Amino acid sequence: MPSTFASVKRLLLASAICALGAAALTYLVDPLQLFRPSRLAFYSDDTRMQNAGLIRSQSFDTAFMGTSLAIHFRQSDIDRALGVHSLKLAMTGSNSRQQAFVLERAIDRGARRVIWEMDDFIFVDAADIESDPFLSVDLYRRTAKGVASYLFSAAMAKESLFALLRAIPPLRAPLTRAAPYLPVKFALSDVDDIYALPRDFDVGRDYNAKKTLAAFAYITAPSRRRFLGEGYGYEAMVRHFEQDTVRLITRHPDVTFDIYFPPYSILQFVAMRDASPETLKTVTDLTAHIAERLTQLPNVRLHDFRAIKPVTHDLGNYGDVIHHSPAVDAMVLKWLASGEYRVDPSKPTASLVELKAQVEAYRVER
Amino acid sequence: MLFNSYPFILLFLPIVLAGYFRLGRRSNLAPVIWLALASLAFYAIGSWQFVALLLISIAFNYGVGHLLIVAKLSPSQRKAALALGVVGDLLVLGIFKYAGFAAENFNALFGTHVAIHILLPVGISFYTFTQIAFLVDAYRGRVAAYALPHYVLFVTYFPHLIAGPILHHKDMIPQFEREETKRPDAHLILCGVIIFAIGLFKKTCLADGIQPLVALAFEARFPSFDQAWCGALAYTFQLYFDFSGYSDMAIGISLMFGIFLPVNFNSPYKAAGIVEFWRRWHMTLSQFLRDYLYIPLGGNRHGRVLRYVNLMITMLLGGLWHGAAWTFVAWGALHGAYLCVNHAFNALVPNVPAILARPVRIAGAVLTFLAVVVAWVFFRAESVTWALRVLHAMADPSNIIFGRGEIAALVQVSIYAAMVWLAPNTQGIMGYDHANRRVGEALRGGRMRPLFLYGASLVLAFGILGIQSHSEFIYFRF
Repeated sequence: MPSTFASVKRLLLASAICALGAAALTYLVDPLQLFRPSRLAFYSDDTRMQNAGLIRSQSFDTAFMGTSLAIHFRQSDIDRALGVHSLKLAMTGSNSRQQAFVLERAIDRGARRVIWEMDDFIFVDAADIESDPFLSVDLYRRTAKGVASYLFSAAMAKESLFALLRAIPPLRAPLTRAAPYLPVKFALSDVDDIYALPRDFDVGRDYNAKKTLAAFAYITAPSRRRFLGEGYGYEAMVRHFEQDTVRLITRHPDVTFDIYFPPYSILQFVAMRDASPETLKTVTDLTAHIAERLTQLPNVRLHDFRAIKPVTHDLGNYGDVIHHSPAVDAMVLKWLASGEYRVDPSKPTASLVELKAQVEAYRVER
Repeated sequence: MLFNSYPFILLFLPIVLAGYFRLGRRSNLAPVIWLALASLAFYAIGSWQFVALLLISIAFNYGVGHLLIVAKLSPSQRKAALALGVVGDLLVLGIFKYAGFAAENFNALFGTHVAIHILLPVGISFYTFTQIAFLVDAYRGRVAAYALPHYVLFVTYFPHLIAGPILHHKDMIPQFEREETKRPDAHLILCGVIIFAIGLFKKTCLADGIQPLVALAFEARFPSFDQAWCGALAYTFQLYFDFSGYSDMAIGISLMFGIFLPVNFNSPYKAAGIVEFWRRWHMTLSQFLRDYLYIPLGGNRHGRVLRYVNLMITMLLGGLWHGAAWTFVAWGALHGAYLCVNHAFNALVPNVPAILARPVRIAGAVLTFLAVVVAWVFFRAESVTWALRVLHAMADPSNIIFGRGEIAALVQVSIYAAMVWLAPNTQGIMGYDHANRRVGEALRGGRMRPLFLYGASLVLAFGILGIQSHSEFIYFRF
């Protein structure tokens, strides 16, 4: 047996070899498909990370972007409704810097059309994309730092090991079935399932008027109403809109942008009306500016779904004051296909005027 | 600077170790000064604005301690000197840690709008307590005169400075004075690296690995029954692996310098009662609170009722020590109440029949664990209202989702529970004996099994691979 100093050296050397072995395993398995596409690949709901691999490994002509409002769409539904070959890149709680950055990468990789679910709150102040702790620009750009952080990662080594086990024929079927119920990230066998609601999802339990009204009561409670306008500032939001959205659109005149304001429940605006009127004014002023600006850009088609009364006033369509059910997802695709609610460039704020009137007239039934 | 960072592991630690042992060849004092300067540099990286406060605190306490130890003072003067020292320490702690909380409550009571925004200096709770203990012992005549470099190192010693363990001068300073610690001991370095590796793995792979599940309970507006339980249990395990991982790393790093730090955790979730839990959880804090608060308050010397009152006061203040918020007060109050119930039960049922000993112990362990989980909900929640909402969800099995995510969370929580309850702890694996200054005796003399060595290297490798760019230790904020 070697002396103790030799043992120290041996331990450190063995650790270095283990680390290199783990990196080699991750490189070979490549669970994110960062280096090469794979038919055996599995997918993760961690969209900020997963998108880096999807953009490089999938073929697509249309990128679908948004926040949690757009997260449950299935690519197959989008393709069917709009006749495109889409890649869903929506990220929960994402801001305009993150969305523009990811879209830029998707356009570089071949997207000729962008469908963009646009919330007003994506324009609040947030970290600069280069120092964003939640989205690794190095991973998307595949810089040395990004590749190193991907390869030298215990989490990725664990995923690679699981993927390797899953590739063994006798284990393939049971592990594929079990994966969604195990603590592994890459658990989805179909790219269409990323963040999509399961086929047997109980819609009525999660989307109903009771939940919507409870959420309304929660956000308008005196102790929490200050959060309604948190981060909202007209000047800064307009600046972010110009920097992130307009700059991206004007940089890519050959790309068509279908941008839509999603159909929040009327209670979202009523909450602001009752608990934070200044926030409502910021939102209406900002979206008026956005509408006026976007309708002047030749490669943009703007759709405004916020004033579609039969949907937004039916609280049974919602899980809280903004998140709508899969049934409304389907309607959104139908409206996008038909162009029924496309904003007329000569009257860019017409739907906003209608929305304001609805908000003013609405009375909450408790 | 974080232990779980590449700059620390690949640069800072090797450089400080090399300098320490190189200087140790020439003198017994130079390595102490080197280590104290390195500790200050460690603190300054990331908290440079509070270095002056740390140095003032050291100078103040050393000065008062010097008065108590060396100066010929009358008993009343000694008492006044002690009062000056303790009040001074508590005043600084109060200003930096509790002024904002006091202002908030003042505003709530009187409808005023007093705004106080003071940044909390990292480690202030730890170095304040360490020095109060020093002053009290100096007053009691239990302290020899220490040289300034040794005292500075005792307070700033970087393995413990930010988040403990809370050190005792009588344990540490004699070790700093010993010449043998200045010579590299390959056995201690090897054991130190392995203990550090275990701690790093606990932090980067286990604590950070389960951290996302905590949001199920504490970031959801209306968590379901299963989400609330999974989130609360996830936090229970995250906190344990995070803090005990930090303590292991501190012990391992210190061991490389030849210095033994006290053990801070001893499988706390295996405790069969709350009294036992507090003998196993954050042990150095429990000892401090017992020796410098509970016993001076009277302890159990003035009857049962006063004992319970003293317990409640101790735990309330212990809760407040963790943070300036009502959630911590609630957490402390709960543990105070648990301890009272536990002591009352022990008084009522002093002897359990042998045949019932095992079932009672199992029932006690389950009950203790559940009680601890409930209390952690207050510890983690942003407000008491939020904590009550999580607890309400935990008590409402009619609202259950049990979807794909919840099942995966439950599987992960179960794996962690198995590790916590079935695996041996670090000192058990390494044979770490702080009192007798022994560690890894089974590994000495060529008896180390290659499997153990390679297992340790795998743990170290995964600990390093698990490092994420934004992962502080939970106890840094206390």
